[in-house]
Amino acid sequence: MKKMWNCTGGENSCARKRIFRIMKLSLFFVTVLTFQLSAVTGWSQNEKLNLKMENSSITEVIHSIEAQTGLSFFYQNEQLKSVAPVSVEAEGETVTEVLTGMLANTDLDFRIIDKHVVIFPAGEKKSELPLSQQDELPVRGKVVDSDGNPVPGVTVQIKGTQTGTITDMDGNYSLQVPDDAATLIFSFIGMQTRQVMLDGQTEVDVTMKEAVLGLDEVIVVGYGTQQKRDLTGSVSSVSDDEIASLAVPSVSDALQGKAAGVQVISTGAPGSDATIRIRGLGTINDNNPLLVIDGVPTKSGLNLLNKDNIKSIQILKDASATAIYGSRGANGVVIITTKRGTSGQSNINVRYSYSTQEATNNLDMVNASQFATMHNEMMANAGREQNPAFSDPASLGVGTDWQDQLFSIAPMHDMSVSYSGGSEKTSYYVSGSILDQEGIVMNTGFKRFNLQFNSDSKVFDKVKFGNSLTLTHDKKYSGAYDVGSTLRALPTQPVYNEDGTYAGPVGRPEWVGDIRNPVGSASVIDNTTKGYNVIGSVFAEIDILDGLKFKSTGGLEANFWYDRSWSPAYDWEPTPEPDSYLYQSSNRSITWLWDNILTYKKTFNSVHDLTVMLGTSAQENRFDFMNGSIKEFASDKTQQLDSGNDEQEIGGNASEWSLMSYMGRVNYDFSDKYLVTATVRRDGSSRFGSGNKWGIFPSGSVAWRISEENFFNNVDFVDDLKLRAGIGYTGNQEIGNYAFASNLSIIKYNFNNSVVPAVVPIVMPNPIVQWESQEQINIGFDATFLSQRLNITVDAYQKNTSDMLVPMSVPISTGYSDIYVPSINAGEMENRGIELSVGSRNIEGDFTWDTDFNISYNENKVTSLNDSVPMATGNLGFDFQPSRIAEGHAVNEFYGYVSDGLFQNQQEVENHAVQIPGNDPYSRTSAGDIRYRDLNSDGVINDADRTYLGNPSPDLIFSMNNKFTWRGFDLSVFLQGVKGNEILNANRIWSEGMAVAVNQTTATLDRWQQEGDMTDMPRAVFNDPNKNTRASDRWIEDGSYLRIKNIVFGYNLPGRWIERAGMQQARVYFSGANIYTFTNYDGVDPEVGANGIDNGLYPVTRTLSLGVNITF
Amino acid sequence: MTACGEDFLIKAPLDSINTENFFETEQDAIYAINGAYQPLQWPKLYNMRMWTTDIMAGNSIVGAGGGDDGRETQDLANFVTTTDNPGVLDLFRGPAPGILRSNVVIENVPGMDIDEDLKERIIGEAKFLRAHYYFIMVRFFGDVPLILEPQEPGDDLRPSRTNKEEVYQQIIADLTDAKTSLPVKSEYSDADQGRATRGAAAGLLAKVYLARGEWQKVVDLADEVATLGYELNDNYGDNFQVSTENSKESLFEVQYVGGAGEGFWDNENQASWLSTFTGPRNSNMVAGGWGWNQPTEEFVNSYEDGDLRKDVTVLYEGGPDFDGMQYDPAYSVTGYNLRKFLVTKSIADAYDNSPLNFPVLRYADVLLMKAEALNELGQTADAETPLNAVRDRAGLPDIESGLSKEDFRAKVLHERRMELAFEGQRWFDIIRVEDGQWGLDFLHSIGRVNASEKHLLLPIPQKEIDANPNLEQNTGY
Repeated sequence: MKKMWNCTGGENSCARKRIFRIMKLSLFFVTVLTFQLSAVTGWSQNEKLNLKMENSSITEVIHSIEAQTGLSFFYQNEQLKSVAPVSVEAEGETVTEVLTGMLANTDLDFRIIDKHVVIFPAGEKKSELPLSQQDELPVRGKVVDSDGNPVPGVTVQIKGTQTGTITDMDGNYSLQVPDDAATLIFSFIGMQTRQVMLDGQTEVDVTMKEAVLGLDEVIVVGYGTQQKRDLTGSVSSVSDDEIASLAVPSVSDALQGKAAGVQVISTGAPGSDATIRIRGLGTINDNNPLLVIDGVPTKSGLNLLNKDNIKSIQILKDASATAIYGSRGANGVVIITTKRGTSGQSNINVRYSYSTQEATNNLDMVNASQFATMHNEMMANAGREQNPAFSDPASLGVGTDWQDQLFSIAPMHDMSVSYSGGSEKTSYYVSGSILDQEGIVMNTGFKRFNLQFNSDSKVFDKVKFGNSLTLTHDKKYSGAYDVGSTLRALPTQPVYNEDGTYAGPVGRPEWVGDIRNPVGSASVIDNTTKGYNVIGSVFAEIDILDGLKFKSTGGLEANFWYDRSWSPAYDWEPTPEPDSYLYQSSNRSITWLWDNILTYKKTFNSVHDLTVMLGTSAQENRFDFMNGSIKEFASDKTQQLDSGNDEQEIGGNASEWSLMSYMGRVNYDFSDKYLVTATVRRDGSSRFGSGNKWGIFPSGSVAWRISEENFFNNVDFVDDLKLRAGIGYTGNQEIGNYAFASNLSIIKYNFNNSVVPAVVPIVMPNPIVQWESQEQINIGFDATFLSQRLNITVDAYQKNTSDMLVPMSVPISTGYSDIYVPSINAGEMENRGIELSVGSRNIEGDFTWDTDFNISYNENKVTSLNDSVPMATGNLGFDFQPSRIAEGHAVNEFYGYVSDGLFQNQQEVENHAVQIPGNDPYSRTSAGDIRYRDLNSDGVINDADRTYLGNPSPDLIFSMNNKFTWRGFDLSVFLQGVKGNEILNANRIWSEGMAVAVNQTTATLDRWQQEGDMTDMPRAVFNDPNKNTRASDRWIEDGSYLRIKNIVFGYNLPGRWIERAGMQQARVYFSGANIYTFTNYDGVDPEVGANGIDNGLYPVTRTLSLGVNITF
Repeated sequence: MTACGEDFLIKAPLDSINTENFFETEQDAIYAINGAYQPLQWPKLYNMRMWTTDIMAGNSIVGAGGGDDGRETQDLANFVTTTDNPGVLDLFRGPAPGILRSNVVIENVPGMDIDEDLKERIIGEAKFLRAHYYFIMVRFFGDVPLILEPQEPGDDLRPSRTNKEEVYQQIIADLTDAKTSLPVKSEYSDADQGRATRGAAAGLLAKVYLARGEWQKVVDLADEVATLGYELNDNYGDNFQVSTENSKESLFEVQYVGGAGEGFWDNENQASWLSTFTGPRNSNMVAGGWGWNQPTEEFVNSYEDGDLRKDVTVLYEGGPDFDGMQYDPAYSVTGYNLRKFLVTKSIADAYDNSPLNFPVLRYADVLLMKAEALNELGQTADAETPLNAVRDRAGLPDIESGLSKEDFRAKVLHERRMELAFEGQRWFDIIRVEDGQWGLDFLHSIGRVNASEKHLLLPIPQKEIDANPNLEQNTGY
């Protein structure tokens, strides 16, 4: 199959996007699939022509015929070019007559179908089998795509015969079908073939889905598009139907597992974006990929988007793909394209789903009597007085289950309505949606209202205007909930006092703890963030010459958000708050964008395809905020800043950045075999110092489609095989807006009791600071086998980050802060990895089974930090930093002591290296304490005996989706997992520490109590003299998991049922997320964030939802 | 387009001033020198670490909340200091920014096109402050890196320690310059009282020479100070009253101001910590009251009968009421609390707004320096006059005439202890006299037996050695 088909059916139809591109190929298919066409209408071939052309190319003749008749021609450029010029003279002759004459001496033939003329090589014309006129049923129907738009040009074939037809412009077909015919096959290039059993039906409507892995899939690559077959870089693509029915509220969650090399880490907190990491961690600083929504590079999270509006998501992974984004490309680029209208067809889509969410897991905590027993033991072992209230533990019973109190099953409603359509000149897509998600933690939740308005309009013949506009308003709300406190609150404490007020620990903290009532804090305190976001762009596209286009885009991103925190006065222990308190802040971020892109596309001598893109981009941002707080309100009903009376505080600031860029890209393709792409971007950024403002980021990549070589002709099972290699340089300019500036801060002194301003340097200046640089090499191949039934993509890469910003070690004697230090471009890091994606259509036919699988391996290493002093990270409070960034290690590896069982008696303590010595038996290492390894064998356990304990980043991430369809039913089961990462389960530091009055997990029931107890769980002892809770391998757990991430089971109601209601499509589905997790991890859930520390996290939720999706 | 682009790409911080366009107006120069004073206010210096050296010097204990409260000061006072002691780190982190800020002024102001008198004054202030900061560092740490210009990446940021003799020569040079270029106190307007003066520079230089044993220079400078109009306040207590700040006796004070919102914690403090930190715990006598710096029995018993300074300095059972409240020795571990810096709630109604200045250099100190120097020069008889002036104000009789040089030295050092108690001066006397041997003997005599020669210098903070491996640690740490 060749791709150089030209559409000449007038400007309009060319502009009509994908559907026509697909159609022309399909029409070619009509001929090669060799069955008889029986178009229902055929009037136009009888139109009369008046034409006189001498020595003209066939193309010119075709143009003239089109001009006279309104017919559209479909043909392959290459074949027409080989035809000698012709002379045509026609006066009142029919199109058929003219074309027959014109093509007489060529090896081309033609066919007229409706208003379309297909020209094809004559050799491919096969015998036309006449349709039997007996025992036939008329069958008719309509074919639409997943958006409900009609699909013209679909071949409808009676299975087992060579009889069929194609759909007309409105997607309608009608066909005489023999009585005994059982099945119709609907096929269309770029879409998945469908088979439908007739069962005597005479009306068969069909919805066809895009075939995701088609080589013709259009990939958005940044300032342009390419067909997948022409890609030379590493780009993953996720289409709308992969995320449509998932029971997750946000687009970022929906991306999990969808692309090789892309790690997505969700959090359960409503309204929070998942973390996206592309090909591991490229820096110790900002690792977030650049997000581009409808051409606007943005910092707004994915959360503001309604996933129903998303047409496709492309993830640019290697530097040859990302270098076009220059100084922002180093962490990869996620390009989101929203849906647009289609000319000629209007429809309305309504979707609603109702979900319930619950915590995937609860921790098993001890009950009140178990806790009292443990606490008594803890005090006794420390030689302290026991709590008299715990003298009879059994009498305390079960007590309070704080997790039960804080967590509950929570509902979520997700509804969206869209309508789209258009005329020949104008098309539109408009959508509105509401998401109302309550959180599983009491009083938490997220509401989002989203409007999308996209339009395209052909204002003049050669000028097209269009816009994309996303508006969202969202609201996140929560109390002052604290999952960690909830785990630690004592079961012996009730939630409420007898008078209905919130209970709190009263008495000695070593007996009753000091945790504020978690239910009280979550209930009375009110934190909300309201966001108002606009991402919009308007573009004009001008066809200057044949193949030369100019596009200018103006974009605006405006984000406004308002934080508010209200706390009434309350008096419950242990820390009564005598004053009510209100904090409010107002934040505004405005970014504008102006892009100008010139694209030239031309084929020379039939074999040289050249695309050149040149562009400029300017972007500028300003961020402003103001905040104020005040205390002591006369009434809780007047929650306004004006109404407070004490400790009024006010603050505010602003910052700005700008970016100016020039970019260019050349794609050259020789004979479809050899592909070359070169890009360059020159970025100037306000974030760099004056001598250093501009950086150049080039890339180059090549591909070789071996399958197009002659020697490959005999390899039948390979459709396409393409080898790719690329190298590129990108940057990361997320270094703060003013890292370069030598600033003087304004502070105060006073003379003689009057305050005077003072201006001082505080932070060491670093005027030469610049972007972090990254070099990435990528090699890979794409292979398609067995008529596109099997697709394999493999990539291997090496990423070297240099100039990584690391904190400078500033001596105090310089007078600059040794705490607030500048970052200097002195660090280095390496990542290397392999990615494999497999897509397979295992079974086709009435029953289909597709499998998509991907797995990726990444290895990360910090190679230089400038100083060899490791950086301590992962603060858990009290200077407890269990992770490190160190040369020769992966980012944030855990660091601490190595435990080696328990001491069974004091003699064993004496025989071991000195841990905590002393004469006081209550404040030294004793029997039942953890023995730590003396790694340097110096007889003392101290800081020098710590070592690296594990890596929070996984070696492998993988996922597999299996999708089954049968008639109207579909089922997909999506598995996802990671392997080879460790988690520091910091919750256990408290809840298995047995050192202070906080609740403990049931694992502590197995604690050491007397000599001979064979257990790993140390003794309970107040204040933990041996520091059993120190950072050690005790808290490190294997974080690998395999999760049944999503299950979607859907049913498309048969057309005959829904037609009467005016529906084109009706689908009901059941969907579940985080159904079940296989893991050895002991915490609530192994998905704990990129730093691998599980410390009071909002749990990931299991979500079950029921949805309906109707297209009118 | 590129030129346009360059403008487009210039974005300076909106909340701070850029070094490129500062130092243009007189106001810029004034604001810059104001900044050089500001580290004096920090807890790293006169708001805490300087006065807690009296605990190390044997006048008092930490007291406070007991247990680990003020652990670093306890370690210092028990002479078990380690290289990671946060108090020691503070004494490095306090003066160094002051030196940088002074250096910024000394580098930038001379080239400015502003009033020459003002320019001279500001440079004089900067030199006074730079010398002051280095004088603090060189006494605590010995050799320290001598850095006289603002530094940037690319400069040698890891210098070795400069011999303390060289540091002293720089201090002397700076103070000598400052003494000539600074105005006398009366030439400043009311609003500028509290800035460095000619008297302050001369007095500080006298103290530098005292530390170095250059006695004649001490005497000369003390006489010079006397010509500048300084005299003792009639009442000792007026040196520690908000209403009599920057008095005729005051050569230099760290300025504090009260009022909510002026800052208290960390480096923002405009208000004094003293009343809050040293107020008796649980007494309700002052706003705050955390019970730091409790005078020892030995110290309190060292007052001669009739010494008026005792009632001003110490709260003790049976002493005069404070703000109408009677003192209870149960407020304190030693039975005593510090009174010198307390302000009543009518002046500071919250813990974070005491406006009381902290005295750095008083004329009484200058008189005692002169007395000591004259005695060392063999002019013991002449030395009696300045010493008796101080005793007289304290309500004490003249000392007996005809004391030996050694006996007179003991008298004057005792007088310094009582007169300057808790003003952060005692430690410097401990390490100064007889190269510290006198001080070690004293510390041993009051039971601080851990004190040894190495403790006469503090360790270089390990954090600083980590950042600058070219620094050698002091002996013994």
